[in-house]
Amino acid sequence: MCNKKYIANNIKNLLLITAFLLLAIPVFAHGDLSIQIAEKTKAITKSPNNFELYYERGLLYQQHVEYNKALNDYIKSESLGNTNNDLKYSMAEVYYLSEDYNKALKFISNYLEIDSINVKAKKLEAQILFNLKAYKKSLKAYRYVINQMVDTRPEDILEYSNIILAENPNNYHDALEAIDYGLKQLGLNTLSLQLKKLEYLEASNQVKKVLEQYNYFILQYKRKEFWYYKKAKYLQKINKPKDANIALQLAAISIEQLDAKFKNTNSIIRLQTQIKNLETTLN
Amino acid sequence: MIKKTTLIIMLLFTAYSFSQTATTSLVSSTKPVKPTVLVERGPYLQSGTATRVIVKWRTNLATESVVNYGTELGALAMNKTSSNVTKEHEVTLSGLKANTKYYFNIGNKKGVLSESVTGDMYVITAPNIGTKQFVRAWILGDAGTGNNNQRAVRDAYYNYVATSPENTGKTDMMLFLGDNAYGSGKDDEYQKAFFDIYDNMLKKSVAWSCLGNHDGKSADSEKQSGPYYDIFTFPTKGQAGGIPSGTEAYYSFDYANIHFIILDSHHTNREIGGAMYNWAENDIQNTTQDWIVTLFHHPVYTKGSHDSDTEDRLIEMRENFMPMLEANGIDLVLNGHSHSYERSYFLNGHHGFSNTFNGDEMTKGGHTVGTNGHGNGKIDSDGAYQKTNEATEGAVYITTGSAGKISGGDLNHQAMFLSLNQLGSCVMEVADDGKGGQNLTVKFISENNEIEDYFTINKTGLAFNADDNKPEQNSSMVSYESHLKTLNITVNPNERLKKVKFYNSIGKLVKKSRKESISVSKLSKGLYVVEIITNINTYSESIKL
Ligand SMILES: [Fe+2]
Repeated sequence: MCNKKYIANNIKNLLLITAFLLLAIPVFAHGDLSIQIAEKTKAITKSPNNFELYYERGLLYQQHVEYNKALNDYIKSESLGNTNNDLKYSMAEVYYLSEDYNKALKFISNYLEIDSINVKAKKLEAQILFNLKAYKKSLKAYRYVINQMVDTRPEDILEYSNIILAENPNNYHDALEAIDYGLKQLGLNTLSLQLKKLEYLEASNQVKKVLEQYNYFILQYKRKEFWYYKKAKYLQKINKPKDANIALQLAAISIEQLDAKFKNTNSIIRLQTQIKNLETTLN
Repeated sequence: MIKKTTLIIMLLFTAYSFSQTATTSLVSSTKPVKPTVLVERGPYLQSGTATRVIVKWRTNLATESVVNYGTELGALAMNKTSSNVTKEHEVTLSGLKANTKYYFNIGNKKGVLSESVTGDMYVITAPNIGTKQFVRAWILGDAGTGNNNQRAVRDAYYNYVATSPENTGKTDMMLFLGDNAYGSGKDDEYQKAFFDIYDNMLKKSVAWSCLGNHDGKSADSEKQSGPYYDIFTFPTKGQAGGIPSGTEAYYSFDYANIHFIILDSHHTNREIGGAMYNWAENDIQNTTQDWIVTLFHHPVYTKGSHDSDTEDRLIEMRENFMPMLEANGIDLVLNGHSHSYERSYFLNGHHGFSNTFNGDEMTKGGHTVGTNGHGNGKIDSDGAYQKTNEATEGAVYITTGSAGKISGGDLNHQAMFLSLNQLGSCVMEVADDGKGGQNLTVKFISENNEIEDYFTINKTGLAFNADDNKPEQNSSMVSYESHLKTLNITVNPNERLKKVKFYNSIGKLVKKSRKESISVSKLSKGLYVVEIITNINTYSESIKL
């Protein structure tokens, strides 16, 4: 134990000295990938048969959006005996990013043979399948992702519902169900999901629900002028000019009630022109 | 040579930490002592509003969570307890009074584990949304080196705020611009470069942040978790004002009369029409606050250690987000990423490359705003940048990423009034201008206590809420007697009233009448469109009941 302490103290001293030396080393501009790549290249020259180094440089190339070089390094790493599953994932990813979806699928399948429950890999598989237009399979993979994901983001729900519609362009029922699932998970007023819901309701001509959705936004918002205008536009589209007019008036009143500093922002000035134009077409 | 040394050091480090662990475990196995619960991190404050705040801390052993709090230091009469046994404590205090100082301490059911007898552990709740009062925010970009540079920058601000003649010692919030802990935002890196450095401030000022690329390295974007997301608790459901984003990656909050929009320029899709863009557009178009500030990591203008002419994230934020934010009245844009201080003129509509900037261009589409927009923005020289109810354009862009290190660069972006390769942090102060408006002033405080730059944006007509002074809404045809809850309709002498229809705020027909004097006592408060139909014409008026 004494001995150990002695060593530890010596190490401490050494650390102090070397820490001092470190201060003299210029700190690299952060995010400077090319410097890191050059360093890896140097290391590779010294030990040209180290598959780890090729893999690591490949990752750097990939971050630097040099997919061909990344791929070459991955292939080299593999040929030197790298059987790590992470390499398979990276190869799938770089093939996916360079839009070679068939090869990407091959590697992600290899990966999933060993680790079939990895959510990240499943998501990539779903994205690859989506691009291969294998929507049924893509949907199945993404369903797994949605169910297993710890912390869902609105973007995940949007991607999922998008795949549902790719698989069957008329399946607004399931797409809307996915959105509702997301709303329950992330909060009932999550904006990007409520917007998507509006879009799907409109696309599937559920007029009554569309209007309810516009009213939801109108009631939910402090400033309602943009939503009144959007609702008016929709009412015009479904040939309800009288209701559209009322909505436009409500938009105008809402603008009237704004603080002066908002009345003169470019977005409100633009909105007022849009309201006038719509009024003209209605009357 | 250097490389070899580094490798040796790293090896030694590993050996050293192993031997340390070994020693510790030896001690505990030979001489068993009752383990003591220690606070290893925090307490720190999150997501503060006028009525609630989240207190977080970490203990070495799992235990219950207790926060004792009260408005008098010697008498913390209230407490919030969670019997859940955990090392990661997160307690929400709610039902608080606005603009009120609450002292607190933290502990478990056995007792207090961390307190400040001098009263330096407290939360001052936010004022009610919309309140006009002095606000001070400390702004830190790319701080997380954990070295003496970072400490010097910190101490310069501590010194500034302690000696500030106005609101001495008060920091309403800390705004972190990302890259809060190098190299990859891991938990131990956050300990060294965030908690160990700012612990004194974190226990009395709410910290907000956006995600930097280095934080993003350890944040698992697929599982949407990782140290950054674990450490911070941000409002995803609009708890602090603003529209619910459903994610901590981007969110908004209100403080006093300022609306803050926090964007993720690193992981999240930056396209127009993407989820973040749609959210931001709806969020900014729903605010009624006097000031709008946005923060995100990647700078829209920089020629520092990064280049906004060549790097995709920077270009996308500028081209996609700036036109929308500008059209909706943004006042201040805070970025980091380049480790320098670069501060713009008073800009609008400059979305191209640095060499397309023309400071004399003031017409639609850019680039500077107002007669002194190409000046220095200093009240005591070229004058404050000016915004009025009529002239709503103009924002200042600050790339301030030198709170932990400097990395040089050309530092010659044309849109910048000043570019400095200097360590420092910024302070934003919003205060009454004494003329019925407010000044938003930002100062850059260098690590050696100098104020190297400052500027002011002035807004007129913020003395009182305009809503309070709206005249009675009467038109030529409709007059409302609020005490009688009666609406009187007057039609032209040559016309005869046939019908009056009331449409509510969602355009639904809610009342019909044929009378000229109509009781509206049964209608709920809100906006109505009143349609007046005579034998000759149909008119419509609006009324707010
Ligand atoms: Fe950065």
